[in-house]
Amino acid sequence: MIVEDEMLLAMELESEVEMAGHQVGGMAVSRTQARDLLQSNRPDFAFVDIHLQDGPTGIDVGRDLAAAGIPFVFVSGNIKRLPEDFAGALGAIEKPYTVNGMKNALGYISAIIGGNLDVAPPPSLVLAEDVAVSSLRRHG
Amino acid sequence: MQDKEKRRHDAQDAGDRLVARQVREDPFAAAFKATRMPMIVTDPNQDDNPIIFCNAAFERLTGYSSDEVVGRNCRFLQGPETSQEAVTRIRDAVRAGSDIAIDILNYRKDGASFWNALFLSPVRDEAGKIVYFFASQLDFSNVKSREADLAAARHRAEEEVARHTETLEAAVKAKTLLVHEVDHRVKNNLLTMASIVKLQARITKDDVQKRALLAVLNRVEALSTVQRKLFTLDDVSRFDIADFTREMVVDLVGAVGRDDIRLTLDLHPVYVPAVKATPLSLIVNELVGDAVRRGLSDGGGDIHVVVKRLNGHFLIRVQDTSIPVKVDEESAEVGRILLDTSARQVEAKIEKHVDGHRTTVDVTLLVDAAQENSH
Repeated sequence: MIVEDEMLLAMELESEVEMAGHQVGGMAVSRTQARDLLQSNRPDFAFVDIHLQDGPTGIDVGRDLAAAGIPFVFVSGNIKRLPEDFAGALGAIEKPYTVNGMKNALGYISAIIGGNLDVAPPPSLVLAEDVAVSSLRRHG
Repeated sequence: MQDKEKRRHDAQDAGDRLVARQVREDPFAAAFKATRMPMIVTDPNQDDNPIIFCNAAFERLTGYSSDEVVGRNCRFLQGPETSQEAVTRIRDAVRAGSDIAIDILNYRKDGASFWNALFLSPVRDEAGKIVYFFASQLDFSNVKSREADLAAARHRAEEEVARHTETLEAAVKAKTLLVHEVDHRVKNNLLTMASIVKLQARITKDDVQKRALLAVLNRVEALSTVQRKLFTLDDVSRFDIADFTREMVVDLVGAVGRDDIRLTLDLHPVYVPAVKATPLSLIVNELVGDAVRRGLSDGGGDIHVVVKRLNGHFLIRVQDTSIPVKVDEESAEVGRILLDTSARQVEAKIEKHVDGHRTTVDVTLLVDAAQENSH
């Protein structure tokens, strides 16, 4: 599932996800749509932008997904806006991402979800722990 | 009524006796009467400790004549704003027979208040018994009002400062919001630009056109990465070239997806002013891109990337070993022009050595230490 209010970006992301051998089950532009989609067609994974058509509701979408046990990543231009716990996300891909960055992130996500934990995360994917560690360093 | 009259007479008599006891020419009594310092004497041995004597200065200060005050307790000087705590302290001092110096708000006959620096002291006879209380008054309303004026002025100034600070904070907050909004839009627009190029590259059937589009995409993405990295540091005016290089090279090699490319990195943080971020990032992008074009992505090989400071210089080195493939002249030329132009912009020197299959490119530029640290 792709939750993104910029249609062109959503479309290209869909193409990149499909090129990596996955299927996009649905697209949502708001929290409401994301919630409906979640109920009608449970996805294996989701990409979630923070700023949607009904406001900065991406974080709520993230919490809905986490509650439903669906893994996801945020795709956002402002990952500083994420809460410390990343709302339960695996990580975040910061916009504007590159083709290579997205490809590597997709490879890493597939491996992790497929149960292969023996892979290194690419630089394009910011993990929740990284942010916690860097913010600890800042405060320390 | 008669009682009161009698008390007044007793007090008057005591005052007369006190003055009469002094020799006519006694300089102390003369001084007491003539001094500009308001003074009174009270008799604690009479009922309610009445005033038995006041001098002319006291009459001038309070507006009461001697006749009006003699026989009365001093409390008639108190009024609605007089501190009860001060009154209690004076009463306690009198009861204890001790000295007291205290500031108290008193009232004149006409009802006007004044700040009184009161000094009260018992006068004892040879046996140590208290025979009188002596009190001097000093009107310090001027000082007090200056204090009040100063306090009011300070208060106004503080209010003014608080108001300005609030305005400034609001302005800074609005500016910060604006900067974040602009940053967000720039990022979104860069990704939208990249998406349009990707769309075109995806749709086109022409391989040459597709290659050209992907070459454009590659440079747009280099700029995107710069924009993204600019705002990850708290200090937006500085940019770490090593951090950019790590992400760019690791992502590129990762995406090529060949196990036979061996990547080694020797990267040390080198902070440059934000204005140099774009040309320097394009240099790194072109050097690594060139290695990939010359065959690294086809036959694999080693690639070693160095970013570090060296003897006051800043060195970017890209070294690769690859089996050369036929190079697309047009894209090689675009890469060369971008590299040369960017190098000229930051006054960098480019040296290229080819030794068999090993190609080494060194880009050096003088890093002005002051500039590196300046904002």
